[in-house]
Amino acid sequence: MAHDLFKKSYRLIPWVLPAGLVLVWAAITETGLVPAYLLPSPTEIGRMGYHYILGPSGTGAYAGRFHTDALASLIRVGVGFGCAVLLGLPLGVISGRLMLVHRLLNTLVNGLRAVPGITWLPLAMVWFGIGLKTTVFLVALAAFFPIYLNAAAGARQVNPLLLRAGAMMGVNRLRGTFAILLPGAMPHIMTGLRLGLGISWAYLVLGELTGVPNGLGAAIMDARMLGRVDMIIVGMMIIACIGRVSDQLLVASLKFCLKSARRMA
Amino acid sequence: MKPEQVSMPAGKVDPGKDDTLGVTDLTKRFDVNGSPVTVLDRITFNARAGEMICILGRSGCGKTTLLNILAGFFPPSSGDVRLNGRPVEKPGPDRCVVFQEDTLFPWLTVWENIAFGLKGRTRDRRYITDEVDRFLSLVGLGPFRDYLPKEISGGMKQRVALARVLILKPRVLLMDEPFAALDAQTREEMQALLVSLWQKLSQTILFVTHNVEEAITLADRILVMNNRPGHIREEIPVLLPRPRRIEKAEFVFFRRKLHESLRD
Repeated sequence: MAHDLFKKSYRLIPWVLPAGLVLVWAAITETGLVPAYLLPSPTEIGRMGYHYILGPSGTGAYAGRFHTDALASLIRVGVGFGCAVLLGLPLGVISGRLMLVHRLLNTLVNGLRAVPGITWLPLAMVWFGIGLKTTVFLVALAAFFPIYLNAAAGARQVNPLLLRAGAMMGVNRLRGTFAILLPGAMPHIMTGLRLGLGISWAYLVLGELTGVPNGLGAAIMDARMLGRVDMIIVGMMIIACIGRVSDQLLVASLKFCLKSARRMA
Repeated sequence: MKPEQVSMPAGKVDPGKDDTLGVTDLTKRFDVNGSPVTVLDRITFNARAGEMICILGRSGCGKTTLLNILAGFFPPSSGDVRLNGRPVEKPGPDRCVVFQEDTLFPWLTVWENIAFGLKGRTRDRRYITDEVDRFLSLVGLGPFRDYLPKEISGGMKQRVALARVLILKPRVLLMDEPFAALDAQTREEMQALLVSLWQKLSQTILFVTHNVEEAITLADRILVMNNRPGHIREEIPVLLPRPRRIEKAEFVFFRRKLHESLRD
């Protein structure tokens, strides 16, 4: 019995802090410590969220806009993150194994990495204009570094004896790469992908702050202009939820597809 | 059985044509801080098909280096290694290695580890399944087929390491102190298993060890290596009847003789 109770409450542990935060927040707004135009109460945010997500469009500002905003943002993150993976993963693995490539890329990559992503925004706007391309560029740029660096670290630390064992069993280079090197580097690769996806959401909002008509970041920026703090907070909470869910989906799908992700992480 | 009667100086053998493995005047030098150090000095021996040879020497005498050269992991400085008359240049499944360390793929189960080499060789799933099942039971790991390496003991890991290379039917099996990290009891079990597999499959085996009892238990012939530079000092046939038990009088006598000759 006690054990069952423990198991049940164990599943609730992740929700303890968010719930506590909401309680503190409610207490602050109920007592009037902070005026409502700076921090609306949780119930108001809940109402606004409902309105934004499920409200029939046309019944008020932001009503029912969630679907188009979320879809636009998901596409931008998906394309940007996808580009970062396509470029960062192979480059990272190769530079982790070949000293020559590592020496060739290392200085440039680390130099670029030192430039804060936000400083790319003006340049990206000049190059790509306002809209999908700028956002995708920013997301891809930001996600590239953690993916590349972790893939390189992972490929570098694969036990050389495993590769040697493969060679003595007659494994050729191609199969060695896919059957030994990548699985051996998988824990690092997974970390890189997760960090990359996380930072993708951050740079998505940055890209969308620049006057695109739709997207979660655009909705937040729009709400700032209109002084709608409730909508800003709703947007932030939605990004938190989608970010968390997308991370879990990433991990789950890697584990579903790859033995090495399933058995080594 | 008196070792001094049957031992003969090494380096006098002539690598014949039907020898499985022939090593002639193999020398290896490494550069240590700019000055060359000779690790292996004119190693010459041959292994006949189906023979079990132990290379006996202290730690640091270069026996692992010798094995790595035979496996093709790196080339000798000079000299010649031939397998059935063909020079050895790179690693390949005709000379499989069982390493001292755990080199199983941690993301594959016991069964998948044993199947790994075969999968690169054939697409015949039926054949792979049958062979893997056969070797799985040969090393006595049937019930553990779906376990991951991290879930089994060190002795079991070495059984998997043995099965995954025996299944490839190498011409020579190279074993680099594979049982050195195991406890005494497990080591004896593994030695008995190795001898029974060797008798069943008539596999040529080159077994490196620093353990005198292990060498006597396993070998048809013992090659004794000197330290610094590594050189084969003596070749000692072991004609004791099998199974060899460490508590038998003839074993004890042979061991004393071997120890004496090692001391000189």
